[in-house]
Amino acid sequence: MFKKMIAAAGAKSPWIYHINTGSCNGCDIELVAVLTPRYDAERFGFKLAGTPRHADIVVVSGPVTSQSKERLIRTLEQVPEPKVVVTLGSCPKSGNVFKGSYSIECPVDKYTHVDVSIAGCTPKPEAIIEGLYTAAQILKEKRREMK
Amino acid sequence: MSSFFQIIENIVKAMIFPGLLYATAGGLLLAGLDRKIIARMQRRVGPPVLQPTYDFLKLCGKETIVPHVANKPVFLAAPFVGYVSLVVMMLLIPIGGYSAFSGKADLIVILYLLTIPAVAMIVGGSASGSPFAGIGISREMVTMMAYELPLIIVFLSVAKLVGGDSMNFSLQDITAWQEQNGPVIFSLSMIPAAIAMLLIIPAEVGMQPFDVAEAETEICEGPLVEYSGFPLGMFKLGTAVRIFVMTSLFTSLFLGGITSGIHIGWTVCGVYVGDLLVRGLIHFAICAVITLLCMTFIHAITARLKIEHLFKFYWTVVAGLSLISLILVWIGV
Amino acid sequence: MNYTHFPVISVMGLFLGAFLVEVFGSKNKYIRNTIVLLITTCAAGLMLYLVKPVFIDGQIISYWMGNWEPVEGYAIGIGYEIDALGMFFVILTVLTIWLAAVYSIKYMEKDSHLGHYYTLFLMLSGSVLGLVCTGDIFNMFVMIEIMTFAAVALTAFRNKKGAHLEAAFKYLVVGCVGSGFTLAGIVLLYMQCHTLNMAQLASILHGNLTPVSVLALALMFTGFGVKSFIVPFHAPAADAYMSAPTSISMVFSGIVNKAGVYGMIRLLFVVFRVMDISSVQIMVVLFGVVTMFIGVTMALAQHDFKRLLAFHSISQIGYVITAVGICSMKGVVSGLFHAANHTLFKGLLFLCAGAVLYSTGTADLDKLGGLSKKMPKTTICFLIGAFSISGLPPFNGFASKWMIYQSLYDKAVTTGNFFYIFALVCAVVVSVMTLASFIKVTQAVFFGQTPAALKETHEVPFLMRLPMWIMSLLCVGCGIFYRFTGNNLLLPAMKSTFNITSYIDKMMGEGTAAASGIENITIHAETGFEYWEPVIWLVLFVTVLLAVFIVTLIGRRDRGKVLSTKEEADGKYATFFSGEKSSHSHVAGSDLFWGFKRNWKGYFNVMQKFHSGNVNDYSLMAVCCCALVIVFTYIVLL
Repeated sequence: MFKKMIAAAGAKSPWIYHINTGSCNGCDIELVAVLTPRYDAERFGFKLAGTPRHADIVVVSGPVTSQSKERLIRTLEQVPEPKVVVTLGSCPKSGNVFKGSYSIECPVDKYTHVDVSIAGCTPKPEAIIEGLYTAAQILKEKRREMK
Repeated sequence: MSSFFQIIENIVKAMIFPGLLYATAGGLLLAGLDRKIIARMQRRVGPPVLQPTYDFLKLCGKETIVPHVANKPVFLAAPFVGYVSLVVMMLLIPIGGYSAFSGKADLIVILYLLTIPAVAMIVGGSASGSPFAGIGISREMVTMMAYELPLIIVFLSVAKLVGGDSMNFSLQDITAWQEQNGPVIFSLSMIPAAIAMLLIIPAEVGMQPFDVAEAETEICEGPLVEYSGFPLGMFKLGTAVRIFVMTSLFTSLFLGGITSGIHIGWTVCGVYVGDLLVRGLIHFAICAVITLLCMTFIHAITARLKIEHLFKFYWTVVAGLSLISLILVWIGV
Repeated sequence: MNYTHFPVISVMGLFLGAFLVEVFGSKNKYIRNTIVLLITTCAAGLMLYLVKPVFIDGQIISYWMGNWEPVEGYAIGIGYEIDALGMFFVILTVLTIWLAAVYSIKYMEKDSHLGHYYTLFLMLSGSVLGLVCTGDIFNMFVMIEIMTFAAVALTAFRNKKGAHLEAAFKYLVVGCVGSGFTLAGIVLLYMQCHTLNMAQLASILHGNLTPVSVLALALMFTGFGVKSFIVPFHAPAADAYMSAPTSISMVFSGIVNKAGVYGMIRLLFVVFRVMDISSVQIMVVLFGVVTMFIGVTMALAQHDFKRLLAFHSISQIGYVITAVGICSMKGVVSGLFHAANHTLFKGLLFLCAGAVLYSTGTADLDKLGGLSKKMPKTTICFLIGAFSISGLPPFNGFASKWMIYQSLYDKAVTTGNFFYIFALVCAVVVSVMTLASFIKVTQAVFFGQTPAALKETHEVPFLMRLPMWIMSLLCVGCGIFYRFTGNNLLLPAMKSTFNITSYIDKMMGEGTAAASGIENITIHAETGFEYWEPVIWLVLFVTVLLAVFIVTLIGRRDRGKVLSTKEEADGKYATFFSGEKSSHSHVAGSDLFWGFKRNWKGYFNVMQKFHSGNVNDYSLMAVCCCALVIVFTYIVLL
């Protein structure tokens, strides 16, 4: 009865939880810039959530250092379904300039299914909005497929 | 037979107007309006007005994870209790000249009923077993202690103004008095009390700068940290209804009686629907939005306070304002 | 059936039971338990039989010991006299005694020397019952003395720790100072009036206050104040309630300090009839307000479960004294109602504290946590008690607090005195602080995470839960049907507080009251409390809740699932701890309310000096306070 409404609402209200796995902070400030009045991602319903329990979209930035690996996995587990994982920047995808370091355990794909990758070092805010918007559509599909 | 109709009528009241449906819809609209207005103040487009509705629906579709340290029944029941008690409060507040269950609660009862949703959130958060929630409930409780003092003084001054030398805490009589003598806020001595009340409402509904308890950037939304899915949606719904209840309370305390001159003799089943529409709904809608504007304005231009500053602010500035009103009305200005 | 003997049989029965337990029951626990249960049940049954004649038929029960009736208009024997006011306290007393006796059986079974315990318990019960039944002021003093000494001995019953002996010593010294004041007052009265019967004293003293009787009034007021532990006599109470076995703490807060309140009401309203003087009203209300405020702020700073409850006891007695001090009809009704409610919810809370202590062996709020999963039934009882005491609708604490606010406001507008508005604001703030400190207990003891040491905790046995359930039911019932309680118990009690002609006439013969010029005042039949309908609120609440449930059930398939696990788990079911592996991290009692405590630092520092723990200081405070009361009463009454 409510199924369609719920699935439709899924795309309109994606809440973001942001995990930094050793990023240089470049991607992080760009993500925050997306929420500022200039780019105003809130018009699509995006909102930063304070805890993984509230999140729909988990944004991972940074090259997954060995210290943060365990924490990343634990936090991803704590997000309720349906959830979408988005990687932000080049680091979580390839390791970027950190590749080959003894303390880097990228890519994120090793630990979880990544739905959207936003490439760039750092990605432009427009690209981030585009990526998050795609993630929201995927969220809707995932909700529709859930029983 | 008549008692049967009465039961039906009461159920309609409780479910549709001014009960469940009205309170929920109004609350969600107001909450959406709040976000929209802030966005416009910051010169951006902002989310659609229906955004809180989408949020609630989306949360319905999410899983609910109960942490293993949590007390499951209490954890799941708390949001319902909070939300339902707010809806019931809506039934006890007279809307214009009309009140669904007349004379069944006075200001002191309202003051105490207002604590039930807060306690529900505190107990729910406490039951989740998270240390973040522990800090959150502590802050929520200190906030409550902070605003309760000015709130009771505001209520007392209104009651004194309306009741004169006889005792009067009844919301019904306050509304009736305003129909006769114009809004309470028009009397000079009541202006500080109205300002105090406007400063209390943000703390009551957990709006910036008084949202220390649910500070998402420091303590991960405090009591709500472990909530997910439908129960979280109920809490969000409760917060929305709480905004509506508080603005309605402000309207019936301070802004009643503006439309008392208007009279439309259009009846359905013996109820003056035209009057209800103008003096009740439209009047309340406009006043609620005006009240919300005042709160949103504070919200948009301030940053979150620290808990000890919040407590000090309420016990000095806000309590002082309301006390000025009480003393003025007591000596009969 | 001649029921005039029942009060004396009950009182004597309890004292006889004390003797029998010591003689026959010190070795065998079955004999001991049988005697205790039998005697307390009989006493309760006999006294509750009197509810019908006193409350419904409006009779006053009187009984002359040894049939020594008054000779030539002078009472020479000890008379028992129970009017509606006395009967009201009798109900509270027998109820508390019976529940405490049932609770003791399991709760105390691990202790030794239980013969002594039950002897003292029955003596304590008998003395409180005697105190509220008696019509003789010296007999009252004797009962107070028995009560104090039994209470002192019971405080020190678990004397393995030095703290318990210290608590008993403090109670002994300050209690004796109080008894001394009372005795001095009684002596002065006897010297002036040549009688000890309260009914006769009332008729003699009416409109006839001399310096001597005013001195007696001041002394006795202070004496009863010490017995009801109002500020500044409250310090030993906190220690005593904490140290005594919990079943006894419940009796202390339920009836021992109510005995002091009863004495005050008897003294001020019946014997001296000084309450219609507005300065006396203000004095009593001031005592009440200070008591409730200091009690609750001290409670916020505590980190021992029972000590916290003890300070709340003090605070709630403040409410009672405030309400009684208003001296309007509404005021007395609400005061008596709050006294009854306090007996119920504070008894319940003490029983819950006892259950926690029984299961875990500690009452330290910083060492407990997460017990709601181990002791769910105790948690429900505790929540009912906590919500009642903090005045959440629709529980009983709300009904009586709401009545108190109404009466205070009423008093303020009729007298035009701003002081009562101040008292009203104080009362509301104290109420929310009460809520705060019970949230602290809820979080620190029942919710949150369980420490490793408490993993093996179990629910308490049925015999301990039974009194808790009874109290919980009464709490909810009194809250929802407060009008019923009000009309059937409180109105008659209030009437007998104001109209004492029949109280005098029954004892001293028809026409005595009229001869000394005491007249009845008209009392309105209704209480004047209209704007709170718990039943309607509850019906609405349940209706809306049902509607929400039905919608939830319809959408069951479309909603996300509720996932939970019973095992300890890392990952999905662990609490969010910023991604770290969640270790035991419980926000305990002392950690809460940081912002509040910081703002009130100066106040708490002063309070720390005030509660020095030195018994000399406490006695000095009692004496100074007595001197102040004497000076004040001389100024306003002469």
